Amino acid sequence: MPDQSQKTRPTGPAPGGGGEGPGSPKVDKPNVEELLKRMRKVDPDQAKRYRQRTGE
Amino acid sequence: MNPIIQFGLETEIGIHRDTTEELDVVAESIALVRSATEPGVWMRWDYEAEDPHADVRGFRVTELRQDTDEANYFAQDSQRELSYVEIKSDLVLGNGARFYNDHAHPEYCTPECSTFEDLLAHDRAGERILMACARHMSEQIGSKVRLYKNNTDFMGHSYGCHENYLLPRSLPWENLAANIQAFLVTRQIFAGAGKFAVEAEDNFVAPGFQISQRSDFFSELQSVDTMQRRPIINTRDEPHANPQRFRRFHVILGDANMSPFATRLKIGTTALVLEALVNDPKRNYPRLKDPLAALQSISRDTHYHWLVDLIDAPPTSAIDIQREYLSGVKERCNLDLPERAELVQQWEDVLNDLSRDVMLCRNRLDWVAKLAMIREFQAAQNIADDDPWLQSLDLEYSRLDFAEGLYYSLEQSGAMLPGVSPQRAEYAVRHPPANTRAYIRGRCIQKFCSSVIAAQWDHITLEGENGPIKISLMDLFAPQEIMHYARAVDAARTPEDLRVLVNVPR
Repeated sequence: MPDQSQKTRPTGPAPGGGGEGPGSPKVDKPNVEELLKRMRKVDPDQAKRYRQRTGE
Repeated sequence: MNPIIQFGLETEIGIHRDTTEELDVVAESIALVRSATEPGVWMRWDYEAEDPHADVRGFRVTELRQDTDEANYFAQDSQRELSYVEIKSDLVLGNGARFYNDHAHPEYCTPECSTFEDLLAHDRAGERILMACARHMSEQIGSKVRLYKNNTDFMGHSYGCHENYLLPRSLPWENLAANIQAFLVTRQIFAGAGKFAVEAEDNFVAPGFQISQRSDFFSELQSVDTMQRRPIINTRDEPHANPQRFRRFHVILGDANMSPFATRLKIGTTALVLEALVNDPKRNYPRLKDPLAALQSISRDTHYHWLVDLIDAPPTSAIDIQREYLSGVKERCNLDLPERAELVQQWEDVLNDLSRDVMLCRNRLDWVAKLAMIREFQAAQNIADDDPWLQSLDLEYSRLDFAEGLYYSLEQSGAMLPGVSPQRAEYAVRHPPANTRAYIRGRCIQKFCSSVIAAQWDHITLEGENGPIKISLMDLFAPQEIMHYARAVDAARTPEDLRVLVNVPR
């Protein structure tokens, strides 16, 4: 598991960008800067605190 | 009139708040619903008309498996100094929707819709109403409220996104249940919302990605239950319409979708398959050898081959099973309407793309978009496969917040195919669908809000000068009759005017 400082610094390809990832979506060059910004801001422990009661 | 008369969605929402105190999710859910600012009628829902114990197979269960839980919850809730009605906090809105606290989740039920476009607009309208509640509540209490349109907390506590389809009672239940089973089990290949966890009831089991949020939580083929030992096919017999003429097919096996494309494909294909069954109940569709096992194996198949065993046929893929249903729809449904023809084309395209390379669908389907987005970030950040950070990113994908939610960011970036315009969604916040009985409910709420004594899906009761005016919506499905009622409610200046215009006896 990476340490917290590493977790806040993305270093590789952006979602929707190049690399050896999946094929390109059929849309024009998505602007992913804002998405990356939001992903970096996600608290890695957010899901640990998220507890719900069973519903239907 | 099409055999599938109308449809709607009911979505339970996850709620959390940025605070160090331990949260009572029931209290949070009640507070959230009560933060609604949209005009509507509060706490007038008619619970007398509900009966979740009636089973469509011809009997009435004495108790639901969840009744014990319900009793325990009731004991806890009795400490709240709120009445049952106050805990539910039902709000019926001017767009015909129902918004309330269901157990421990805010639930938004769209009004009844008859077109896919209306359904999408009202699903999105619900998101906007919920976001407005979260903003309002956050301001009131001084800590940020977070809402999630997903189906799990990754610790085995699941909550639903149910679909409802009103169809003629003439379709025999046995034909319906047997023939739609394989469709419902396999449609997750395009309708799944994706999840970075494997769960069991009340437990986290293992890390890893699967295509569906809900497939871990089903253990029965058919039953009337919805909270425990959930069935693939729910047998609740509660049509909210004339029970001699109609049945409501209540689908609890489905994920909450962020992508409007996925929502439309889920609702549209299911409605058309039901129509094909109504039009030809004898046609044979694939029968799964072990539907419950197939549900989980498809969801967890990391190679996306989705092979399943059939009764009296060689193993086949979920894609080919879907193609069988596609053929049935092409042969048996009227596809003259442009939105139906377009839907069928989109269904075919998705199946073809999934068979070539699932990633071709990352601009349309939730599970693919989520997987691509998070895997690329994971690689860039060198995040381990068992790091809970992946679940946090998964959670934030479904966050209902235009400024912070990850799905919305994908959409705003242009990475997703366009869905509903903001103007159309905003319009649906205040306006009911024009072509269903929801119009009558919504307009009565708008015009005679203070006179509403009771509301339900199949009736609305107003207080008139000469006593209660109960407007039955039980049989109000023929377009001309809806139009007659719509003109009446538009023209009426008072509830008594409406009584006269639609002939409600004193």
